[in-house]
Amino acid sequence: MADLKHRILMVSDFFYPNFGGVENHIYYLSQCLLKLGHKVVVLTHAYGYRSGVRYMTGGLKVYYVPWRPFFMQNTCPTFYGTFPIIRTILLREKISLVHGHQAFSTLCHETLMHSRTMGYKVVFTDHSLYGFADVGSIHMNKVLQFTLADVTRAICVSHTSKENTVLRSGLPPEKVFVIPNAVDTAMFKPALVRLGRDEIVIVVISRLVYRKGADLLVEVIPEVCHLYPNVRFIVGGDGPKRVRLEEMREKHSLQDRVEMLGAVPHASVRSVLISGHIFLNSSLTEAFCIAILEAASCGLLTVSTRVGGVLPDDMIVLAEPDPSDMVHAIRKAISILPNIDPQVMHDRMKRLYNWNDVAERTEIVYNRALKCSDQSLLERLSRYLSCGAWAGKLFCLVMIIDFLIWRLLELLQPAKDIEEVPDVVLPCHQHGQRIEEIFRWKSE
Amino acid sequence: MGKISMAYIHEGEWPPGTVDIHIVKKSLRKAVSVAILLLPFACIFLSFREISATLILWRLLLSGHFVILLLLLWNPVHKESVVIMPAFGVQLETYYASGRIIRRFIPAGEILKPVLLECVTPVTCYWSLSLLVRGKEELVLVFKELRPPMKMLLPVWKALCASMENKESAVTSGEVEGG
Repeated sequence: MADLKHRILMVSDFFYPNFGGVENHIYYLSQCLLKLGHKVVVLTHAYGYRSGVRYMTGGLKVYYVPWRPFFMQNTCPTFYGTFPIIRTILLREKISLVHGHQAFSTLCHETLMHSRTMGYKVVFTDHSLYGFADVGSIHMNKVLQFTLADVTRAICVSHTSKENTVLRSGLPPEKVFVIPNAVDTAMFKPALVRLGRDEIVIVVISRLVYRKGADLLVEVIPEVCHLYPNVRFIVGGDGPKRVRLEEMREKHSLQDRVEMLGAVPHASVRSVLISGHIFLNSSLTEAFCIAILEAASCGLLTVSTRVGGVLPDDMIVLAEPDPSDMVHAIRKAISILPNIDPQVMHDRMKRLYNWNDVAERTEIVYNRALKCSDQSLLERLSRYLSCGAWAGKLFCLVMIIDFLIWRLLELLQPAKDIEEVPDVVLPCHQHGQRIEEIFRWKSE
Repeated sequence: MGKISMAYIHEGEWPPGTVDIHIVKKSLRKAVSVAILLLPFACIFLSFREISATLILWRLLLSGHFVILLLLLWNPVHKESVVIMPAFGVQLETYYASGRIIRRFIPAGEILKPVLLECVTPVTCYWSLSLLVRGKEELVLVFKELRPPMKMLLPVWKALCASMENKESAVTSGEVEGG
């Protein structure tokens, strides 16, 4: 089983050149899977003029399909419009397994639906938490229920995320695996020279929105500044709550003690982190907070609310999402700061949160998924019927139409007429190597 | 149903060492069968003798005249060929069913490299052979209308690469002799 190599199609609306947690996750996971010997192809929508096939580091092939995004980087949902191109890519790349990312991605949902119709095994990774009460969440949860009704296996990035996904989708918990995210410790290293302790700097880097607890910061910062005259804050990030923080700064005359950086490019995050001693995270809810991993990798002690993806006890001080409890946690963090060695913390992070480990665990999920038995259309339809009195019947109708369209596509363009793509082997020595040797072409 | 309607012909060098011709032919059977299928609709609508503005508009919209117009304007490609003349250049030819021929000549000195690319459209993905031409921002498609499969593109690409290598070695030996 260890020698079984897979051909994986990663699909999501969120990939480079867009920047974020999901994009990083797909990229780093793909690179580590390539190192393990698997073939990985990424499918996403075109970004502006970036359309067609691109190759990234390590021979990672990316299809930028020219479907225009219509809302928050999501492809316009057409239900069946993407079936021809998805089918073509699945056949020409000889894909063995499809891995979709992010519940908010319409391309992911459509690809998983069409892949299941064609009989492929599919794995879904959920990266975010969603609510249950508002109209948007209700609709999103119904779509997720449809997709996950027939998914082979699912992966969540934390136990909090698994609980949320299972409740939203009705997926059996035994089908869901928890594989935490990792951090690129090579990029997030502590400062070469340790900071002095005369002045303690607390760093906050997050989007300044309600969900990230920006309102808590408005209460916490003045209190901490009052209690500790030697504490200074650096706040990076932007958002609708920035105005409230600026007002707080003016009201308490903290202009020289609270520095507002605005939006910080990801490439500059490390330089901001290493200028501080403590990292403060006030998110109300988070599936997996990569920011605290990045801060810990840079050797900062973290003060955080109880969000998904929590560090070991000696690297983090937890608090309730309440201003007084957070002030108490910051007091505790300042007292244990002399015991913290940034380099030791960084080395521990390298061992604990490692993308190679994530890839090996994901490989186990793939092996389990491929062992599952194939199911006929009728067996699959019975799963959709259990999604609801009306929704179940609607889902069945959608899948029946999808099956008929697949048969029509098989008639119009049989699978044998779709040429398979040769595997590109990155040449180690370019001189004296014939072009034909680089392409392992199937001989006819 | 798609690829089996194309045929690849290599007419070889004639006389030896001068010109290399590669032809991709497309069968017109599908085009003719579609035209035959549409003709009855055209005949039915043209058989109405009443002349009124509403009926004329209705006939135009519902394909009577539209079909005739489509058949007149639709000019399927019969074949495309690549004529490689070492040291001179490459001539790309497109032959239409109506007899019209479009020729494009690219001098050898302007061709930087022939490249095989994957083209992605909203509904499909296919291989294409293009030329990187000096001074042009866009690639020049060797087969502009047809989409031959890779097994037909590969020998053409190899022949183009070989002619580029011969051109470079001829230039190098010329420089050595001249210097």
